[in-house]
Amino acid sequence: MSLLDLKEITKDYKLGKTIVHALRGLDLGVEEGEVIAIMGPSGSGKSTLMHIVGALDTPTGGTAFLDGQDLQQLKERQLVALRGKKVGFVFQTFNLIQTLSAQRNVELPMIFQGIRKGERARRARELLTKVGLADRVKHKPNELSGGERQRVAMARALANDPEIILADEPTGNLDTESGGPILEMLKRLSVEDGKTVILVTHDPDAAAIADRIVRLRDGRVVEEVGRA
Amino acid sequence: MLKDFLLLAGQSIVHRKLRSWLTVIGVFIGITAVVALISIGLGLERTIEEQVAKVFGVDTFILMAEGTFGPQRHAGGSAEEYALDLEYLRSIDGIKVAAALRERTGYVQGPPSADGTSLQGFFPVMGLSPELVTEFESFTGTLKALPGGRLFEPGDEAVVVLGTEIAERLGVTVGDTILVAGDESAELDLTVIGIMAPGEGGDDDSGGGFSAGMRPSADKDTIYVPYETMDLLWGPAEDVLVTLVRSDPGVNVDELADRAEKALKARGSDVSAVTYSDISEAIGTMTSTVSAFLAGIAGISLLVGGVGVMNTMFTSVLERTKEIGVMKAVGAKNSHVLMIFLIESGLIGLVGGIVGTLFGLGLSAVASSFIGRFFDIKLAVVASPTLIIITLLGSFAIGAIAGLWPAWRAAKLPVVDALRYE
Ligand SMILES: Nc1ncnc2c1ncn2[C@@H]1O[C@H](COP(=O)(O)OP(=O)(O)O)[C@@H](O)[C@H]1O
Ligand SMILES: [Mg+2]
Repeated sequence: MSLLDLKEITKDYKLGKTIVHALRGLDLGVEEGEVIAIMGPSGSGKSTLMHIVGALDTPTGGTAFLDGQDLQQLKERQLVALRGKKVGFVFQTFNLIQTLSAQRNVELPMIFQGIRKGERARRARELLTKVGLADRVKHKPNELSGGERQRVAMARALANDPEIILADEPTGNLDTESGGPILEMLKRLSVEDGKTVILVTHDPDAAAIADRIVRLRDGRVVEEVGRA
Repeated sequence: MLKDFLLLAGQSIVHRKLRSWLTVIGVFIGITAVVALISIGLGLERTIEEQVAKVFGVDTFILMAEGTFGPQRHAGGSAEEYALDLEYLRSIDGIKVAAALRERTGYVQGPPSADGTSLQGFFPVMGLSPELVTEFESFTGTLKALPGGRLFEPGDEAVVVLGTEIAERLGVTVGDTILVAGDESAELDLTVIGIMAPGEGGDDDSGGGFSAGMRPSADKDTIYVPYETMDLLWGPAEDVLVTLVRSDPGVNVDELADRAEKALKARGSDVSAVTYSDISEAIGTMTSTVSAFLAGIAGISLLVGGVGVMNTMFTSVLERTKEIGVMKAVGAKNSHVLMIFLIESGLIGLVGGIVGTLFGLGLSAVASSFIGRFFDIKLAVVASPTLIIITLLGSFAIGAIAGLWPAWRAAKLPVVDALRYE
C-alpha cells in the first residue's frame, strides 16, 4: 500500500445557504520518499487537499488512507498525534508565533509531544543550523526576513522528525532568491533523509524539483506528469 | 510541561504589555478594595479585642442582670438590677475576690448651718465594695478622692464619700456628718471621709468606651457608701447593678462563672455571668457582621473587575485565534491550548492580585490611621497572612475563570477555521 492513498475524495464547505464543492472526487496515491508537486489554478482545491492530508480537516466523502490509517475513522486524539508527529506543515504565510523566538517556535511542536527541555533546545538549534539560521535563534519573527521566517517554519516542520512534509506554496510570498534555498531544502529532505514531500506551487521552476507533477482543476486531478 | 506552558503564557503576557496591564488594572481595583476593606475590618476587630482583654484580664467575670448583656447595654443609663448575696458568692470555691455595686435613691440631710436650717433632698446613693476600687481598677478607672480625703477601705462602716457637686450643695467637707435615710425607719449618721474627684478625661481615655459601663461613674451628685452600709439602710441587696469576680489562680474562669451563675440562680439571683470569652464572642459576631458587609461591597467591585477581565481576555483570545490554529496544527491538544490560556489569564489575575494586595494593605493602613485620629483611638493595622494567601489564590482563579470561556471556544474551533482567522 502507498504511504498516501486517496480515493474519490470530496470536500464540501457550507457558505451560508450555498455549498462549495472544494474537492469533487479526487484520486491520488503517493509513495514513500516521493516529491510531489501539486499545481493548478487558484481555488482548484490544492490547500483543501493539503489540509486533509495533514489531518487539519476531514473529507466529506471518499476514502483516505495515510500510512495504513483510515483518516475518517481516527479519533481526535489520533488526529492530534498525526498532526504532531507524522506530518510537518509549511504554510505560505509562515504562521510563526510572533511572541516567541525562532528557537521557541521550533521547540513548540516538541513541547506538545512532551520532549524534555534540554533535548528540545538541542534539536531546535540543530535544525536552525541546518536551515542556515544558527545566528538567528534568539530573533523574533518580526526581526527576520521573509526567507528567514520560512526557514524557521521549515525547521519547525521537521521538529518531530515527520515522515511527510506538506508545503503549501512555501515560496508564494518570497522572491526567487529567498525561495530557492527553501526548494533546495525540500528536495534534500527527500533525497538525503527519505522524506515524502508534497509541494503546492504555481511556479514551474519550483515544480521542477518534483518526481511527479499533479495538476488539479475544480477539485479533481486532471493530469499527472512524472518520472515514476 | 506545565513549566513550558507557564513560559509560553508568560512570554505572551510580556509581549502584549499594554493589553496585559489594562487587564491587570481591572483585577487590581477590585482586589485593592477587598483587601483594604477586610483589613480595616480585621484591624477594628483586633483593636476592640485588645481593649477588652486589657480591661478584663483572663481571670475575671462579671455578673449582670439576666438578659442585659449585649451591645445595647448603655441605653437608658440605668441597667436592670438583681438580688445578690455577696457573702455567699465569696464563699464559692475558686473565687478569690468579688466586689459589687448597688444603687438606691435616698433621703439625705446635711449638717445644720449657721441659721439652724440644713439642706436636704433625695439623691442617688451608691454602695461600693472597697475591692471595686482596690482590685478592679481596670474596670472602674482611676477613682480617686480629692486631696485631704480618702476612698473606702475594708472595715469602713458609717462613712460616706460625696460627689463634688453634692458636697458643695450640702456645704460639707471631710470630717462632717450627714444623715442618710433608707427604707422606713432606717437612718444613719455618716461621716464624710472624702470627696470623689471628678472623672478626669471622663469617657475618652483609652478603653473608656468599654469600661465606662462598668464604672460607678464619678457623678458629681452621687453619694457613695460602703457596700455593707447599704444593708443597714435598705436591707439585703436586691438592687445590684454589677458584680465583678476574680478567680483563684489556675481556675477555669468559664467553668467557675457557670458554676457561680447556677448557684446564685438557685438562691434567687437573676444573674448571668459574662466572661471574657462571652464578650469576645459577642464582639466577634458584631465585627464579623461589619466585616461581611465590607466584604460584600468589596465583592461587588471585584465582580465588576472580573467582568472587565473577562472582556479583555475575550478580545485577547479572539484576536489570537490564528495562533491557536497554529499550535493545533503543530500537534497541540485542546487541553494544551486551554491550559496555556488559563495560565496566561490566571497569571494576569495574579499580578493584579499582588499589586492589589499591596495597595489594599497600604490603603487600610492609611485609612486606619485616619479613622483612628478621628475617633482618637489607636487602630491596629492587620496584614492577615490568610487573607493575603486567599486573595492571591482568588485573583489567580478570577483571571483563569475569566479566560476559561474564550479559551475553550477557541480551542474547540476546527484547526482549519482557526488558521483562516484574521
Ligand atoms: N473553510 C472554507 N469555507 C468555505 N469555502 C472554502 C473553505 N476553504 C476553501 N473553500 C473554498 O474551496 C475552494 C478551494 O479552496 P482551496 O483549497 O483553498 O484552493 P487553492 O488552495 O487551490 O487556491 C475555493 O473555492 C474556496 O473558496
Ligand atoms: Mg491555497
